[in-house]
Amino acid sequence: MSQAADPEFLLGQRGSSQELGAWVIGLAFGREGRSLHAGLGDGTVRVAQLAASNDWLTVEAHKGAVLSLCADAKDGALTGGDDGRVMRIAPDGTAHELAKFGSKWVEHVVAHESGIRAASVAKAVHVLDAKGEVMKSLAHPSTVGGIAFDAKGKRVAASHYNGASLWFVNAKEDKPRLLDWKGSHAAIAIHPEGGHVVTAMQEMSLHGWRLSDGQHMRMSGYPSKTHSLSFTNKGKWLATSGAEAVVLWPFFGGGPMGKAPTELAGGDAVMCTQVLCHPVHEMVAAGFEDGLVLLADINTGRVLPVAPPGHGGVSALAWNPSGSHLAFGTEAGFVGLLDLSAR
Amino acid sequence: MSDLIPVTVLTGYLGAGKTTLLNRILTENHGKKFAVIINEFGELGVDNDLVVDADEEVFEMNNGCICCTVRGDLIRILSSLMKRRDKFDGIIVETTGLADPAPVAQTFFVDEDVKRATKLDAIVTVVDAKHLLARLDDTKEAEEQIAFADLILLNKMDLVSEEEAVEVERRIRAINPMVELIRSTKSDVPISSVIGRDAFNLERILVREPDFLSGEDHHEHDSEVNSVAFEVSRAIDPEKFNTWMTDLLAAKGQDLLRTKGILAYPGEDRRFAFQAVHMIADGDYIGPWKEGDARKSKIVFIGRDLNRPQLRRGFEACQVEGAAA
Repeated sequence: MSQAADPEFLLGQRGSSQELGAWVIGLAFGREGRSLHAGLGDGTVRVAQLAASNDWLTVEAHKGAVLSLCADAKDGALTGGDDGRVMRIAPDGTAHELAKFGSKWVEHVVAHESGIRAASVAKAVHVLDAKGEVMKSLAHPSTVGGIAFDAKGKRVAASHYNGASLWFVNAKEDKPRLLDWKGSHAAIAIHPEGGHVVTAMQEMSLHGWRLSDGQHMRMSGYPSKTHSLSFTNKGKWLATSGAEAVVLWPFFGGGPMGKAPTELAGGDAVMCTQVLCHPVHEMVAAGFEDGLVLLADINTGRVLPVAPPGHGGVSALAWNPSGSHLAFGTEAGFVGLLDLSAR
Repeated sequence: MSDLIPVTVLTGYLGAGKTTLLNRILTENHGKKFAVIINEFGELGVDNDLVVDADEEVFEMNNGCICCTVRGDLIRILSSLMKRRDKFDGIIVETTGLADPAPVAQTFFVDEDVKRATKLDAIVTVVDAKHLLARLDDTKEAEEQIAFADLILLNKMDLVSEEEAVEVERRIRAINPMVELIRSTKSDVPISSVIGRDAFNLERILVREPDFLSGEDHHEHDSEVNSVAFEVSRAIDPEKFNTWMTDLLAAKGQDLLRTKGILAYPGEDRRFAFQAVHMIADGDYIGPWKEGDARKSKIVFIGRDLNRPQLRRGFEACQVEGAAA
């Protein structure tokens, strides 16, 4: 990777960057702690080792485009593509096909460290075991807009038209808890303590359900659709994209119902496109439509600029499991990697 | 913006020749690459590198507008296709025979991700000259597909007499007086007549003018789709027009399939163009009035149960006070 020059930004001080040449759909650090994977709109997955981040391997993972990429259960990455395949990419870039679902798109993939994985294909969520075998296929009333595991990997939630479905992965009889709310739901997140499910809606608002009593939570006021949702590690805050600031909803003190959200890093009249909370600290990384990337400390509101605008709208963010490394990618195919560990 | 990917929507009843037209577009040597979104229950195979199977998922939007529906599958698919956009020049969406074109059109007005990267180029409807009249009598979708069309391919001309063709064209024009009609056999038409039309561009609104002078009412039956067109010579008061149109679309938006207008505002050298699909409206200034041309404001409604005198009075009342400008 080339060294970025601008010392005003963290990327210039402790980062490196690379032009990968196609829209960055997703980024993930392998859970083994050595590899960084970028899934691109040209169907390839690019793999770098943190120890030698100027060498990017090109893996021809999918025939069309990568549609979704996440860290795989133990190491490496998992991808879904518009060629109907779910691929596993090892930390060294070795790829193999875990599953193939005809000509349908594999729009979303998620994996949990326990070994379980899920992939959404049209109206179905296929659950794959540690060996990559399809354990079960869960049917939904319409195409799935997003999937998420809970923190323990025991439940999987899928958003769709008129609500979301929450399934116990190991249930003998597959019967979902239906969380209903009129409208079309896409991005989805489960609170780290498992008590709330939140979705982003076509109507430019969020909807949430408190699972203990089915209480609805409406979080609205966005000027744009929210594509990215991320809880802080203990679930105190939910960070969201879709506004000209990072919008954080409080999940404490009775919130988010009846509470105003906190806005961070606003003021530039540029839309926030991606958010991802730090895995350990109450800190959020955010990317904007103009390419700006920053880190914001949620408690102090202090903002650290990470990368300057100009390399395309930010389309992906990733933290490694310990939170020492941050990666971002853009629509223009620019990827930055930062080492934030103490020196 | 010029880098928006044009999207052509192909509608038409089963057996009218839609897939034949699609395959002609794809196989003709024009050097262009298309992504094709088809329904999995399509009639015939489609031969193209990038074919996406879609379930037509029509979603209601909870924005208080009862007829505001969008195609959820298109939002997802188009948003994903944009991420690989350097690989094709246009997108063609083939709908099922029974599809209402409104949700497809509305998707391009409503969804920000779709608007950011694509534009609706035209709605092309293929009709079977032999069977259209029967379809119009027994289904509402056939009428809607004609009402929404920017271009109609009057196909299977080899199966009808000239008299039959003229009658079919008369029925089509009663529903949609602005549509361009092309007669064809086996969907054999120049691709340039179908692709790259830019028909939803406000700049091109009413390039094909209906007959404004005719006092004739094409009214055939209340439940049928028909059209009315008016023209006034005094300038239009923007505030009056906005109030009238907002109230009208709120009250009658379900019945008003398409509305198009070009307005002369007082003291404004540019023309104001306006269009709506059901309740969803869009308007902006377009180029100046031509030197020496009369600045006449025009409006066309295509819909069901149109109250012609009431619409005429409403439009006339939007004029500024006083003598003709």
